[in-house]
Order: sequence, then structure tokens, then C-alpha cells
Amino acid sequence: MSESKFEKVSSLVDNAHDNEQQSVELFEQLSIDSVLGETWSRYHLIGDVLRDELLSDISLDLSIQIAQAIADEPTVLAPKKAKLLNSVKAKIVQFAKPFGQVAIAASAAGLMIIGVQQNVAQHDIVMPSQVVQTTPLAGFAAPVSFNTQSTSRLSQKQLYIEQQRRFQALLSDHHQQVKLSASKYNGQLLPTLQVEDSPK
Amino acid sequence: MKILSVLLLLISFSFSAIAVDTSSVKTPTEDLPSTTPISAKLWLERLSQALQNLNFNTSFVVVKNNQAEPYHWFHGRDEDDLELEIFATLNGPRRDILRKGDVVSYIEPEITPYSVESEKISGPIPAILSGDISNIEKNYEFISVGRSRVLGRVAQLIRIVSKEQDRFGYWLWLDQESGLLLKLAIISLKGQLLEQIQFTHLDITDSLVDSLKQLKKADLPPVIDVPSTNKDHKLSWQVNWLPAGFKQIKANRHRMYSTKQPVEFILYNDGLVDVSVYVSVSDDEQRKVEYVMDGATVVLNQVVKGFEISVVGKIPSNTAKAIADSIGTSATP
Repeated sequence: MSESKFEKVSSLVDNAHDNEQQSVELFEQLSIDSVLGETWSRYHLIGDVLRDELLSDISLDLSIQIAQAIADEPTVLAPKKAKLLNSVKAKIVQFAKPFGQVAIAASAAGLMIIGVQQNVAQHDIVMPSQVVQTTPLAGFAAPVSFNTQSTSRLSQKQLYIEQQRRFQALLSDHHQQVKLSASKYNGQLLPTLQVEDSPK
Repeated sequence: MKILSVLLLLISFSFSAIAVDTSSVKTPTEDLPSTTPISAKLWLERLSQALQNLNFNTSFVVVKNNQAEPYHWFHGRDEDDLELEIFATLNGPRRDILRKGDVVSYIEPEITPYSVESEKISGPIPAILSGDISNIEKNYEFISVGRSRVLGRVAQLIRIVSKEQDRFGYWLWLDQESGLLLKLAIISLKGQLLEQIQFTHLDITDSLVDSLKQLKKADLPPVIDVPSTNKDHKLSWQVNWLPAGFKQIKANRHRMYSTKQPVEFILYNDGLVDVSVYVSVSDDEQRKVEYVMDGATVVLNQVVKGFEISVVGKIPSNTAKAIADSIGTSATP
């Protein structure tokens, strides 16, 4: 009932009330019903704020009401159970928040690394040395993870990069050795390579 | 649908039957059931002759790991019977292989260009295809399968299949007219396609193309002077099992091409496939076996009792694992 009344007040404030007869009745009610009257003024205030037509010297005299509310509040000797739960929850949230942020940052960094690797992977046949260059990128992302969980994840990533580097090195060395094996001398020397002669 | 597929099947069968017929006509000397393998070998010999003697200018794409690498390939013989050849990558940094007779030059972005004295090129096309195919006859079977259409031409499919279940199969589509290669596929034991080379254009000319004429005039990078002293190092370990037909090409101690890590190394070859075995001291005590496939090339890496063992080559991972596990200390100190 009252809901529809408030609605009617609202439409009256917005000047969207079409039925003349009803609006006359509403005005009468407004003058009688104090709750409706307050609603009427509040709606107008809201409208003014929304339209940015608020007077600069308007005083929302909340302080009196707040003081009254505090005075009315009964003194509680034991904290309420619900409040305790809430505060614990808040502490948990406070505690977990940085972890979550780090996790997000770390996974973003991880994504970056994966993205870079995928980009590199597309060219790795043409430029095998580029795979090696992903390592500094891992170092780049490392400061983000100052929590233990994600460092272990990152070191896994480093292990993965290390593994990729190993495979790439083996592949290119294999190709090189095959090329040189075709030589009449079965050579194993490259201009840039040194052969270790000292036996272990 | 079913009827259609049955029809297709019938047609393909009859097609291969025709193919077998015509190939046996080509070798009238043989009327035995063994006509097919012999004609397959003849096809491969014809390919070898064509690759050595024809002037051709062709492009192909190597497809592996969901990537395509395009190449240009020129080959020819000049008036003095000098064989000239160029393999050039078309995407990314230049990676060219030049050949003038017995000198092969490798031009790569990572290292200064160098040449080796060799009559075979180590490139995307297996060198044996232009060599003596009977070298691999002991370990591989040649099977003529049938005809199909590749590069807009009539092509004969020849399969090179390992006799043991320890190596990959090579499928070759050869041009009916010239005998040249039109497509090559490396197929796993389960019939999976691992790597393929698809030719995209083929020109056979009477005379040398311009780029080969230029190559003839050009100076190649210096041939590496290889000291033959450490050609066959005595190593403290040995490989105790290899698939039949693999021979040791060389054994040495060297530093890895990119990481500069010192390794002990043996290279094996069965005529078609190269397999590298690496042994080095590791910081780790144990690391379980890891594999990676680059097209058909498997890279195996594991650490056993403080020694890092790696096997690289175009072989199935089971074969690589068996080779790695067979490594032990050599009997002679």
C-alpha cells in the first residue's frame, strides 16, 4: 500500500502524474500524512542533487539525529556473536587480500611468459637462439612474486624454460654435428667451438 | 553416403591395381611376385639420378609442429659437369646451403659462414635420396603403393619402411614424368604424420638458372680445416644397443653449440637417419626422462647417477629410450 503511495509521490515530484483527480487526492494526503510529507521533501532533495541544483547553504542536519541515535543505543557489555564473526571475516579478507593480488599478478606474469614463449615458439625453428632469450624475461617477472607459493610456481616455470633451453641446445648441436659429419674428415670443429682435449 | 564411400574405395583399389600393372610393365624382366619391391627400388634409383643430373628450380614447404617453412631449391650441372645446388629458406633470417661440387657451405645467422668438403648436403631433404639407395636396403623395405595426384602431376607413391619396428617410415611421392620428388612424409609407427615436405612448384630447365650461374662465380666461405687427431676419442662409456644397421660415424668431446657445455658425443647413422648420443656430468643426481618432438626428431634427456644422457634423432621415442638405457661404462678403460 505505502509502496504504491511513495510511487505516486515520486511520479508527482517528477511531474509525471497524468491523472488530475488522483494528484488532487495525493496533495490532500500529503498535507495530512507526515511520513508522506517527509518523503515528498526527500524526493525533491534527491531530484535537486541529481540535477545539480542544490543550494550551497543547504544544511542536512544529520548531527542531531546521529547524536540522538547514539544516545538511544543500549550499552552492550558483551560483543554480539554476529559482530565477532564479521570482524574475523574482515581479518581473513585483510589477510588473504595481498595473497590474492600477488596470485593475480603472478598469474599475469605467467601468462606473459607463456605468451612470449608461444610467440617465440612460432619462430623457434628459424631462430632457435630466441628461446634462450626468454630467461631474462623470467627474471623480469620475479620481483612480483614475494610470496612463497608463487615463487615455487615461478621456479617451475624457470625449470620449464631451462628444459626448453636444454632441448633447443641439443637439437641445434645435433644438426650442427650432422652437417659436419658429412665432411670428408668427419670433422667436429667449428670456428666458434673449442674442443676439450683434456680427458676427464 | 555408404555407397559413395564403397565406390570410392573400389575406385582407389582399381587405381592402385593399375599402378602396379604399369610399374610391372616398366620392368619386363621380372614376372615374379617380387616385381613390386624391385620397381619401387627402380623408382628410388630414378629419383637419385634425377636429383643428381637434372637442372631444376623448385620450391617446397617443410610442415612440422603446425608450422610451415618455405624453401627455394635450385640444382644443376654446368658444361664442365660441376654440380651446383642452393637451398634457401624464404622466411626469417637467411639460412642458406650452397654447394659447388664437393664443397658445401652453410650460411646461418648464429655463426660465421663455413664450408665443409662433402658430396652430400645435410638439409631438409635426406641425403640418401640423391645417393645410393641400396645402402639402406638391408634395414628398410621399399614398397610401391600406388598413384595419386601431387602438384598437379601424376605421382607414384613409394614407401620406405623400416624392417624392424624401431624407425619411422618415409613416404615419397615421385613425379611420373621426371622422377623428381613432389612430396615427402615421415610417418610414425602408428601411421601418424610427423613431418612433411610438400613441393609447391617445379621447373625443369635445359640450362642452369641465373642464381646457379652466380653461385658458380661466387667465392664460398673457407673450408674448415679439421684436425683429424680427435676424430675418434676413446670414451669411458659405450652404447650397448642400437637398432640394426646403425654405425658409429664419429665420437668426440666438444662444447655444445649454444650453451658451451662440455659433452662427450657419438654420432650414429643408418644411411637414412642420424642419431646423436650425448653424455655429460650433471649437477643433479637424478632427473626423470623428458622427451620433446620437433617434427619427427625426438630429443630425449635424462640424468642417471649424476650423468646427463641425451639422445637426438628422427627415431621413435621408444627407440631413443632403449638406446639411452643401454649406455654403460665401456669394457676397455
